[in-house]
Amino acid sequence: MANFHWREWATDTEQLRRLHLLEKVPLFADLSRRQLGKLLVKLFEKEYAPGETIFLEGEPGKALFIVLDGMVSIFHSGHGAEERVATLAPGGYFGELALIDDLPRSASTRADEHSALLILYKSHFDDLIEGHSTIAIRVMGNLLKALAGYVRAAHARSAALSPTLSGIAAVLPQGEKPSERPDR
Amino acid sequence: MNQAQPGETRRDAGPSRQPRMTPPPASIVWGVAIAITVLIIYSSRELVLLLFFSAALAYLINPLVKRAESAVIRREVAVTGIFIALIVGLLATAYFLVPRLRTEANALSGGWPSFTQRLDEAVDAIQTEIVADYPTARRLFPEREARYDKLNAFIEHQTANFPNLVGHLATIALAGVLIPFFTYFLLRDSHRMIQFLMDRLPAAQIETSVAVWCGIDRIIGRYLRGLAIDGMVIGTAAALGLWVLGVNYPLILGAFSGMANVVPYLGPILGGGVAMLTALIQFKSLAPLGKVLTLYFSIKILDDVVIQPMTIGHSVHLHPMLLIASVIVGGHAFGLIGMIVAVPAVTMLQETTKLMLERRRYYAGLPVTHPRRGGPIQHFVC
Repeated sequence: MANFHWREWATDTEQLRRLHLLEKVPLFADLSRRQLGKLLVKLFEKEYAPGETIFLEGEPGKALFIVLDGMVSIFHSGHGAEERVATLAPGGYFGELALIDDLPRSASTRADEHSALLILYKSHFDDLIEGHSTIAIRVMGNLLKALAGYVRAAHARSAALSPTLSGIAAVLPQGEKPSERPDR
Repeated sequence: MNQAQPGETRRDAGPSRQPRMTPPPASIVWGVAIAITVLIIYSSRELVLLLFFSAALAYLINPLVKRAESAVIRREVAVTGIFIALIVGLLATAYFLVPRLRTEANALSGGWPSFTQRLDEAVDAIQTEIVADYPTARRLFPEREARYDKLNAFIEHQTANFPNLVGHLATIALAGVLIPFFTYFLLRDSHRMIQFLMDRLPAAQIETSVAVWCGIDRIIGRYLRGLAIDGMVIGTAAALGLWVLGVNYPLILGAFSGMANVVPYLGPILGGGVAMLTALIQFKSLAPLGKVLTLYFSIKILDDVVIQPMTIGHSVHLHPMLLIASVIVGGHAFGLIGMIVAVPAVTMLQETTKLMLERRRYYAGLPVTHPRRGGPIQHFVC
């Protein structure tokens, strides 16, 4: 009689694939496999058709999304036009601010191709971190690192723009600040 | 002159045109749908209650399944393994506890025919005790014959439904089989049902719609698990206390107190009342009655101050008035079981309404979150 590999028989291969993906997500770096397992059971999966909207800017944010398969683009609508901010591949995540507060989304997202996303809702995340302080500290630490990165990038962008702004201020009439200038 | 003003509908469109049917407002459609759902639930309430009990049991067992799933074990394997372990555990508990419980139950049923007489004797002894201390209190008590008739009538009224209960034994036995059966399949296939719904929900609404389900799931799960732990702690404390005080049938009374505790407000009164009645018949004196009352009062305080905050916490955000009203309405509609399921049912309704209002605010262009919920903002970073 051939050896019966009960461990392989009892293992959920789809969950194992998701677990391997979670190991690569920067937001969950430093989490042990056991901790990732606890996170794994809180996730939902949803498939999106190419071009399908995942969420729109201004909508209330309730969940974090992780790309399992496919490609997803993030858009920011400024000055009436839609600007692509980023494109995410499997292992990428977005909507992480919803884990901190439930304020409206600051960007819109759309599936570029047929995509599968893992969804972690804030209420489930809160439930998880309430009972597991180590997970809370590590995920929040990673989230803070990500936010610090955004802030530094924003600073760098505004620093790059400041010579241009100084130039505009120089050509304006004396005593008139750019912000005080009436719209024409 | 006959020109239509902006926003005004032209009615004289011509003789050949049929009048267009305007669809009813969404609120009316929703109202009718809710009314039909309530009617269906009420007309098939036996099945709904069975499903509700099964779902409650599934909630209690679900953390064990999730623990197994977090170790990447297939859900079917985890659920089957846990069910086998639970059945073995229950059989082992029954092996040790049932003989003791049966002895208590036999002693209780053996004394049942003379219950009115024993209760009357106990009341008489207490009256004598009070009158000995306060002779003027004699005129407050009725004559013995009149009291005996009143007691008899009261007990007959209270036990009128017992034959009916025996007649429902087959239904109870069927429920005993069906509830574990439904629970098993609910646990095994719940993730498939959720996935089925998620696949059919519009992509743009997935975030907010499922968020409310997650919120409800969290609240109900915590409430039911907390309630079960709370009931077990209360039952154990009551059984231990009654055993120390020397009251008969401590195990049965403790188990009853633990189970009754799931009914908000009324449960502790019911549990304490039955224990006091037992102590009254046994001791025929006021002092032990006072001790049992003190015991239940202390357990209630301990429950409110220590046990409930640790188990149920603030999982259910219902106003006390709404909570009592829901228990009363649940009791009228579904009896004792309705009183138990009233709180989770109303909590679900409250959470759904909250989300619907939030979505309404979003579509109306109003801010969806309360300004006070935001944290302090620092206007610089370094």
